[in-house]
Amino acid sequence: MLNKNIILKEFKVELRNNTSLFLITPTMSVLVILFPILAENRFQVDEDIFNIVRLLFLIIFITLFSIRRPLNENVLIREINFVGINKKTYFDNKSISELIILYPQVILFMVLFTIFTNTFINSSVPVLLLSSLFFSFNSILTNIYFQISTAFNSRFVQLIIIVPIYIGLSILIAPLWLGLYQEMINIYYMIYLGISLLIYSFISYMIQK
Amino acid sequence: MTILFESEELTLGYANQIVISKLSLCVNHPSNVEIIGNNGSGKSTLISCISGNFTGNSFNSIIKKSENSVLEIGSSRTVIESLTLLENIMYFTNSIKLQENSIDDLLTTYQLNEFKNDYVRNFSSGMVRRAELLIAELKSPDLLCIDEPNLFLDSNGLDLLSNLLRRRTNSKKTNILSSQMNTDLFDEVNLEVNLNVK
Repeated sequence: MLNKNIILKEFKVELRNNTSLFLITPTMSVLVILFPILAENRFQVDEDIFNIVRLLFLIIFITLFSIRRPLNENVLIREINFVGINKKTYFDNKSISELIILYPQVILFMVLFTIFTNTFINSSVPVLLLSSLFFSFNSILTNIYFQISTAFNSRFVQLIIIVPIYIGLSILIAPLWLGLYQEMINIYYMIYLGISLLIYSFISYMIQK
Repeated sequence: MTILFESEELTLGYANQIVISKLSLCVNHPSNVEIIGNNGSGKSTLISCISGNFTGNSFNSIIKKSENSVLEIGSSRTVIESLTLLENIMYFTNSIKLQENSIDDLLTTYQLNEFKNDYVRNFSSGMVRRAELLIAELKSPDLLCIDEPNLFLDSNGLDLLSNLLRRRTNSKKTNILSSQMNTDLFDEVNLEVNLNVK
């Protein structure tokens, strides 16, 4: 159930602890600028390498976003009991607000990557937008679940656990970005949609349980 | 009179460490309950268990709870530090319908009116405690649990708390306080749980 109150609160807190947009995005942009120099100082780097690096940078970007403000389970439970909502409602609304905060930043980062490296994926803009949306959505769900339902609230443990999951999620994006026929792209979308529904259902079940 | 919380052999702890062992407790509604105990005796653990905030190990204790609304004011801050006082009030009281003047009246009563647009992170501990009491008064839950009620409050703050508890008692609500010794904040105590007695 959509609760505007929680979403609004998350926006305000994000705006006032503006780590993500004002710290993570510039840091990643600097890394992107440095990348061609780091790539053995070559003037010509293969286009496919740029696509893989784009994906790698996206994983790093979302990982940094995920660990920016770890949730403390005890504090969180106190807060949601004080508000008078259940964990599932909080999870749904937190996921929506995180997606609204993260997705525009991912797009901004993708644009910056394109500008700084003068490259683009081997598919169209809608493929880039939709694959990034799926990736962001699944990453957010996984991250919030780990934070609110497990005791892994330290940044380091969080990093160790979620990065392999993000790498797993990104495996489906790589073929899309390296170029596929439209029919294959549709199949990949369906697979990603299925995975998204599966992750959401599993997490919802676990939280309600 | 209904039962808010009941357990015959309540055992609570963290991991394998037991803090409270085989405690028999029944909290009726309405009533005033005082939990007394030394440091480490399990006051905060017990009050968080009653209020539903407990995240430790209950060792399969059988606990019966009613569906009444519960609110706990703990010894650590619950309000959101990045929000202003007014934003916190709106956030925490969103689920209830408030009368137009009720917030302003209570802000004046709790002497927080001039700070309503300030960020809570800039508040002193006493002001935070007053803000939490204000929210508790607005929400008016069936059961209000306060851990260490004397903590951070000056004499004026204690008077405000005492008045709040008196109003709640008159409106047939249940209140639970936990502290190291009797607080004298209740006019009448219906149940005293002494965790020092094993």
